[in-house]
Parts: sequence; C-alpha cells; structure tokens
Amino acid sequence: MTERVVEVVPEAGLHARPASKFVQTANEYDCEVQVVAPDGEGNQEGEPVDASSMLGVTSLGVGHGERVKVIADGENAVDALDALEEVLSTPEAGDEDSENGEESGGDGPDGEG
Amino acid sequence: MDYDIDRLLPTEQISLAEPPAKKDDAISFLLDLVVENDRVDDRERALEALRERERETTTGVGKGIAIPHAQTGAVSEPSVAFCRSEAGLDFDSMDEQPAHLIFEILVPEGGSDDHLEILSSLSRSLMHDDVREGLYDAESPEEVQGVLREAIS
Repeated sequence: MTERVVEVVPEAGLHARPASKFVQTANEYDCEVQVVAPDGEGNQEGEPVDASSMLGVTSLGVGHGERVKVIADGENAVDALDALEEVLSTPEAGDEDSENGEESGGDGPDGEG
Repeated sequence: MDYDIDRLLPTEQISLAEPPAKKDDAISFLLDLVVENDRVDDRERALEALRERERETTTGVGKGIAIPHAQTGAVSEPSVAFCRSEAGLDFDSMDEQPAHLIFEILVPEGGSDDHLEILSSLSRSLMHDDVREGLYDAESPEEVQGVLREAIS
C-alpha cells in the first residue's frame, strides 16, 4: 500500500471536470484507490472514499488549494498515484492562476503573472 | 452546516411522478418545480446555468443518482428539487447506470460555497444504501423530506 498527499490545483476543486478526470483515471487502474479529504485544520482525518466512484469523490467537497490523501493498494499502485497526482496538480485551461504558462504559450487575454 | 430541509427542499419542490425521459427535459422539469414555487426570477438564465454545468461534464454521479446543479443569480435562496424515475434516465453517468434519483440544486451567486457544501452533504448521505432505499420507498413528499432530514446533518 502506498499513499501520497496532493494539493488540488484546478480552480473547480475536486468537482466537475477535474473530478470526473480523477475518477476516470482511478478506474483505469486495477489497484484499489481511496481518497481522504482534509478536516477543518487540514489534517487528513476523514473517512476514505472509493476514488473510482463519482458519488464518493463528490461527497468529499474538496475545494481548490486543499490537500487530499490518495491511497493506492495493489497492482501498479505507484503508477496510479503518479497519474492521479498529475490530474490533481494540473490547472485547467482557463484557470486564472494557471502556472503552466510555458506550456500553454500565452493565449490568455493579458498574460499576467 | 445545518440544513433546514423544509426550507431547502419544500414539498412543492418534490415530485414523485415520472419525470420526462430525456435528461435535458428532466432538468427543465425540476427547474419548473422551483419556478412554480416562486423562487426563480429568471427561468432561462437558471436553465442555461444548469446546462452549462452539464456540458462541462455530466452530473450523473453513479449508483442511480444524478445531481444537476448551478450557481445563478436567478435564485435568491439555496433551493433543491427532487424527482424519482422508475424507468431511469440516461444521464451519461460514468458507471453507465441510469439515474433514478435526481436532485437539482440551485444556489444564488456570491462568495459562499453553499452549492458545493450542499452537493457534498447530499452525496455523502446518498452513499448509504438505506438512504437510497428510503427515497425509493417514500410514498409522499413528506416521507422524502423525512429520509433526508435524518440523513443530512
């Protein structure tokens, strides 16, 4: 079993498109993946939910900038964590504080920051 | 966060009749429950906000549940509508199962994360088999409220 704490970068938090990408990615792996949301103080204390369930992930109510703990157990657990970390760490196109300026080649309105 | 179910989901916003079979029509149908209850200033604007969210990615969250939602200036207080489908609606859910229990959440615009809190509280309670069964078995809007009152706290 392996686990990792990751900050949720997309503006939408773990909702909408980022959440569905996250769940899809979790479904691509055979290992069991769970997610734990932080409590009010930022400790990872909540009840773990199944990362391959949209209902479960939605129930966490994780917003932008919060940190979740992702736990994987089984085949290719580390690969699964890598892929899920990638989803959580990648801002979406159109997010204001996108830090991937060098990749998206400045098609934003004013290229600030 | 404490919810006043009677305020959030009044009986007028609960329908136990079979909703329209298409996802988009069902979303309008639920919106109209809230419109008829005099809580929506601008129906078209609210509908567009719901559709916009749906275009981004489906709100069919699996286990027979869909939760279309939007934050819109067209409403002035957080409102939820509920309907139940025997037949099941195709909501493009990731688990490829039809949606039988459909909740629609509308919250006013503003700084708060009300809609996400309502969404996560509702999802959390719907993860429990007995809550879903209670909603399937409910024979009146009051019973639906009763199940949710107990489940959401």
